[in-house]
Amino acid sequence: MIELQNVSYSYSDDKKSLNSVSFKINRGERVGLIGANGAGKSTLLKSLVGLITTEGSIKVDDITLSNKTLSEVRKKIGYVIQDSDNQMFMPTVIDDMVFGPINYGMSKPDALEKATKMLETLGISHLKDRYNHKISAGEKKMASIATILTMEPDVLMMDEPSAALDPHNRRVLINMLNKIPLTKIIASHDLDFILDTCDRVLLIRDGQIVADGKVDDILTDKILLEANSLELPFCLQGRN
Amino acid sequence: MNKAMEASRELKAMDELATLKSPIHSFCPLSKLLTTIFYIVVVMSFHKYDIVGLVVLILFPLIVYSISTISVSTCFKKLRLVLPLVILVGLFNPFFDKDVLFHIGTFAVTGGMVSMVTLMMKGVFSLMASFILIATTPIEEICSAMRKLFVPRILVVLILLTYRYIGIMLDEVAIMYDSYMLRAPRQNGIHVSAWGSFLGQLILRSMDKATSLYESMNLRGFKGEYDYRFTREKNRFSKLYAAIFCLLILVCRFYNIPSLIGSLFT
Repeated sequence: MIELQNVSYSYSDDKKSLNSVSFKINRGERVGLIGANGAGKSTLLKSLVGLITTEGSIKVDDITLSNKTLSEVRKKIGYVIQDSDNQMFMPTVIDDMVFGPINYGMSKPDALEKATKMLETLGISHLKDRYNHKISAGEKKMASIATILTMEPDVLMMDEPSAALDPHNRRVLINMLNKIPLTKIIASHDLDFILDTCDRVLLIRDGQIVADGKVDDILTDKILLEANSLELPFCLQGRN
Repeated sequence: MNKAMEASRELKAMDELATLKSPIHSFCPLSKLLTTIFYIVVVMSFHKYDIVGLVVLILFPLIVYSISTISVSTCFKKLRLVLPLVILVGLFNPFFDKDVLFHIGTFAVTGGMVSMVTLMMKGVFSLMASFILIATTPIEEICSAMRKLFVPRILVVLILLTYRYIGIMLDEVAIMYDSYMLRAPRQNGIHVSAWGSFLGQLILRSMDKATSLYESMNLRGFKGEYDYRFTREKNRFSKLYAAIFCLLILVCRFYNIPSLIGSLFT
């Protein structure tokens, strides 16, 4: 599904933000991308949708990412960015939801129908005609995911999805994500969230993948996590 | 609430006004845009001394305001910063044009005074018409209509993104201002020594945010063409609206309605 080979990138200084990253993600996998602040998680996500131009090769469904295939790859990978305010730039939720499908050639009535159905599926129909600047952070996060899902991507990629969510909305989001049968890549340092939503974990440090394995193996490895400025998920810490 | 936040809210409130429900809101944007442009051209075409002819042109905005359910006072409230500028435009005319046109009692009314009032009226009428267009039509629809009039794509996208960018910038100003004032409680505003860094930071922050927003648009297939706003059904009488109002404007332009009405009683 997704294959990276020796992907490297640096933001104009000497230090590489991504350093020879290679891995494969199969269809249907739910992958958590974890690492400390500045480890390279967001850079890696951006590279997958061509927002930054990297060295090495990135393939999505055997399509090699390049300027020519950018549109095709972006249709396959739906990227929910961290700040929902930046994702939702149209006046109302429904306007935002139809933005992508129409750009990709869907007719206006079809896009509207699809968006309405998606809102129903996610249980957020009440947000349809709401103004983006008047909905809460949790609702905005849900709506921003809906805008991406309306484009019918093969992969759902999210950057810090649980940031700025209260516990209730966080739980709602987890339940919603677990119902979506797509390949998922979720970058977060909320390890409890990763534990609840992913099967596999990639641990990144200084732009390199330092561990790749099952969620139960990596997120229970206290020594590995602490060596990478992380700690065990709260639910595994056994605090009173 | 600081002034930047207030301005940002007012800008967003325009989006809300534009999605209200009224016959004017439901007309197709192209009809509304063409009618507004036509109205402004006709208003501007009046001679600088033709106050009487011009006065009747107030009818168009007044009718449209009453149908749209948006009050004229909302317009003046929102445009309170621009209106003084419009009024300033003709302020010097009385000093340059001192020819006496007529007398009111013993008071001599000069050409400069009349042209000043005419200029002010032209400005206010045009602003009222532009405002009702913006208040009843989302910016995306106006841009879409502009594209139908073959306005270059780059210009239309520029207008649209600038409109959105202003909102982003105001939000950033509001956050930075609050953050500054929380640590400078005895100051009335931002101290002059901080203006440089404040402005620099503002540009960097708003550019960062704008870049992120643009990336988000690109990721959803944006290629510089805007034609998305369609969630509301368009009124099938849109063309009729444009035709009737253009005709009304033309009648007001070529027939001196106040004189005709006056002649009925004399």
